[in-house]
Order: sequence, then C-alpha cells, then structure tokens
Amino acid sequence: MISKKSKTILIIGILSLVLSPIPVVGFGLAVVGLYQFYSDTMIKTSMKAEIGRTLSIIGLLINLIATAYVLFFMPFGNAPAWLTSLRDAFYSTSFYIDFENNFIAEARYNYILKGLGTTFEVTFFAALLGIALGVIVALVRSSYATLKEELRGGLGKAILWILNQLCGAYLTVIRGTPVVVQLMIIYFVIFASSNNKVLVAVLAFGINSGAYVAEIIRGGILSVDKGQFEAGRSLGFGYVRTMAFIIVPQAFKTVLPSLANEFIVLIKETSVSGYVGLQELTKGGDIIRSRTYSAFMPLIAVAIIYLVIVMFFSWLISLLERRLKNSER
Amino acid sequence: MSADNNVIISVKDLKKHYNGGEVKALDGVTTDIKKGEVVVVIGPSGSGKSTFLRSLNLLERPTGGTITFEGRDITDPSTNINKLRQKMGMVFQHFNLFPHLTVLRNMTIAPTKLHGLSKKDAEKKALELLEKVGLKDRANAYPSQLSGGQKQRIAIVRALAMTPDVMLFDEPTSALDPEMVGEVLEVMKDLANAGMTMVCVTHEMGFAREVATRVIFMDCGRIIEENTPEEIFTNPQNDRLKAFLQKVL
Repeated sequence: MISKKSKTILIIGILSLVLSPIPVVGFGLAVVGLYQFYSDTMIKTSMKAEIGRTLSIIGLLINLIATAYVLFFMPFGNAPAWLTSLRDAFYSTSFYIDFENNFIAEARYNYILKGLGTTFEVTFFAALLGIALGVIVALVRSSYATLKEELRGGLGKAILWILNQLCGAYLTVIRGTPVVVQLMIIYFVIFASSNNKVLVAVLAFGINSGAYVAEIIRGGILSVDKGQFEAGRSLGFGYVRTMAFIIVPQAFKTVLPSLANEFIVLIKETSVSGYVGLQELTKGGDIIRSRTYSAFMPLIAVAIIYLVIVMFFSWLISLLERRLKNSER
Repeated sequence: MSADNNVIISVKDLKKHYNGGEVKALDGVTTDIKKGEVVVVIGPSGSGKSTFLRSLNLLERPTGGTITFEGRDITDPSTNINKLRQKMGMVFQHFNLFPHLTVLRNMTIAPTKLHGLSKKDAEKKALELLEKVGLKDRANAYPSQLSGGQKQRIAIVRALAMTPDVMLFDEPTSALDPEMVGEVLEVMKDLANAGMTMVCVTHEMGFAREVATRVIFMDCGRIIEENTPEEIFTNPQNDRLKAFLQKVL
C-alpha cells in the first residue's frame, strides 16, 4: 500500500518539477502531490514519498515564479485587454517600482546571479581543499597518537613528531582566529601581488574549513572501537592498511552528516568575501543597495537565496542520515 | 636456548611494567609452546593471563624479556611483526568482526590483500571453512545479523583463513550467552583435534580439562604452576591454585 502510494507521490513530484514552467499544470500537479503526502500520516516513513514531496515543493516555487513571469512580463503579440490592465495595475504598485529599480534596471539582477555563481565556485573548491587538508591532518594526528608507542625512536618517529606539531599549530592558529582576519591576511599580506580574488577566497576558506574537518574526521576515527584496530593488526595488516580497509570506512559513515553540516557552514561563511572585494552573492546584493539606496529588496533577496540553498542541503543531509540509519547494524 | 625443533613460541623472562615498575602486569614469565600443543591459561582476573596472550603477537608491548616465534625474536624492533602476525591467528573476547563487511568479506579481506590470493580462491576457501562450522548459509550476512555464538565462530574461521601456525584465544566465550558457549567450544575442540597449536585464555574449566595438553596457572603476573590438566585439577600443588580451583569448580 504505502510503497505503491509513495511511488505515485515520487512520480507526481518529478512531473511537477519538469512541468513547473507551465502555469496551472505545474501548480496543479504539485498541489496534488503535496495533498497526497500530507493527507497520509504513515507516508512520511517512506523515503520515496519524502523525495517526491520536496520535488513538488520545488516545482511549486518554480511554477509561481513562471506564472508571475507569464502574467506580468512575457511579451504577447496582442494581449487581451484584461491582461493589459492587470499589468498596468501591477506596474504602478510600489512593490513593482522597487523591484524594477533594484533588479531589472541596468540588469542589476546580474549582480545576484553572478554573485551566486561565485559563491558556489568558492564554496565548492574550498570544500575540496578543506576535505583534503582535513583528512591529512586527521590522519597525521591520530596516527601519531597510536604509533608513538610502536615506533621506537628513529627518523620515522622524528618526522611524525614534527608533522604532528605542525598540525597542532595549524589547528590552534586557524581555530583561534576569525576567518575574516585570515582572509584579509591571505589577500593583503601573503598574496599582496596577486589579484585573483577567487583563488584567495578558496585558499582562505579551504584552509579554515580544513581545521574543522580535521577534528570531525579525527573524532570519527576515535569513535571506531579499538578492537577493530586490533583485529586488523592481528590479521597481519600494517597500520596504514588497517586504517584504509577497516577504520576509515567505518569512521566515514559516522562523520558524513557532520561533514555535510560543515559544508553548509562553509556556504554561509563565504559571505564575508566582500572584505577583499570579491563579488559573491552577499557583496552582489550590497552593491545593488549602494546603487539604489534601497536596502530592503536586495538584502532580503540575498537572505532568501541563502535560506533556500541551506534548506535544500539540510534536506539532503537528513535523507543521508536516514539512509545511514536504515543500513545500521 | 631450546634446541627442541618442535618449539614454536619461546617466551623468556617476559615483563610488562606500568608506571616505571609500580604495576607489574607480567613479572618474568618463561615458557615454551610446542607444535600441536593446546595450552590453556587460567588464573584469577588481573593475573596477567590476557596480557601474556596479547604479548605473544605484540598487541601488548612487553617492557622486558623476549618472545621467539618460529626462531625469530618478535620483540626486536627490526622484525617485521606484520608478517609474523599473519601466522598467528587471534580470536577476541568481543569477536571484533568488521561490521561494514559481509561475513565472506570479513574472511577474504586478509588473504586477498596479504597473501595475494585471488578473490575466487579466497572465497572458495572461506566457504569451505564456513561449511565446517555450519555457517555456510550466512556467508552474505552482515555481522549485525548474527548471534554472539555465530559471530565468534566466524571470528575463528576468519583467523583460520590465513592458515596460521598458532591460534591465540583471548577469553573467546566470556562475552557469550550461556547457551552459545557450547557451539564455540565445539569448534575449538575440533580445531585442537585437527592438530592446531593453540594458546587459550579461558574460564571454561571443562574445556581445559578435556582438550588441553597443558594448563598454565597464572597469578600476579607470574606462572605459578603448569602441568597436565589431570595433575592441575586433581593434584594441585600451590595453595593459590587450590584456592582458585575451589572457587571456580
């Protein structure tokens, strides 16, 4: 029963997303899908239904925008009289005047669009850098903790000791100073000769995020039962292979939600890039504000965009957590 | 130095001290384990028997003395301990199966990665072993889907999949529900009858009496008495052993 119904909801969700640009049709489908979902208290347990619901909601939002576009902006050869009068009425509201001034005039919406692209670009590469750094630092720190007894003197231990000290210093400095300060130091001091602001932002946020990712991953490694490590070693695996085959796969599963959370934090953190003049989403909205002297529209628009992005990723994380819970031992 | 070719593990004056000698988990243990022997180590908790067993494959690092395995000193830092551990199977009190892998993968991961066995050969061998312990039908299950007794039987065959020369058992039945102890002991008994060299820390006196070729009684980090099971159980010499047996039998 439930599986059949949730399949229907999923299909309706997909359809309402695909057909969302068409007024009435997309809207109707989305409403049907949402009604199916919310009228049944049991259906929430199904992941398919949940995905269908969210697709319907997204479809509904796109449809509202598309409908507004068709109603108020889409050029017609000879529009019916009621539409022309509706448009005239709309064009004279203070909402529209403000909207036109902030987004349409001089194609100012480009500040938002291009800014959003830059935000995604910086977040994506900073996340990659952060994960790479985080994994390395976490492995150095946890391997030093376990190997310091096994390695008896020698060059290997000396190198590991130095690396561990470096990683410790990195964590202390990065987590002990504000990210804006780090960003400005990298831009105005370290890369004073370069003007590649995206690169600077990626480095700053990647290095910053790496410190937090490192601690998340180290926590995951520590959370794996010590017996797992002993079992791997007793079979004859060396330290590195025990980590690779036994410990890290288990640790990864536990830290996946926290890592995804760190990613969400990172998206919002990039909003301070304006300090070095990088035009990302927040700066884009701020530039519009400085041109039009009206703060409400551009800033609220920026806030809504962040909110929608974060809500979407939070939803993805909750799905992920459910998946992991289902496959739990 | 023992000239006996049959000696597989030779332990000399093994010490494990904590806090600079304040706590002596092992305080000079000396014994030889010969090929085909089934040595059962008994003793009160805190007597050092688990530490002794875990020292044999260096899961615990002794602070003094030597352990020679198949002619090589494993306490020497230049010895490749990973290589030697491949020949020493170990079974833990809490099974320590890998929860993210199926039963079959638990058993094949070490032979394929360490012995270079092909996946097919490793699986064939694993299935044969599973058949022997009556768990062939659980090959594709995950450890979470097994009972404690099943988990421990899998843990034993996982170690056997590496074709070890010695098997070390660290209280293999202590974490089991009473009704599951029998099935695990049965597997161990078969293994002993097949001629496997075994060192086993256990509280199962029945198993010691029936299967062991030698029983070691430890207390306060020392071997107090070692003898055949008949002598240990019917004619104990040391007072501490007598007191211990009185409590457990």
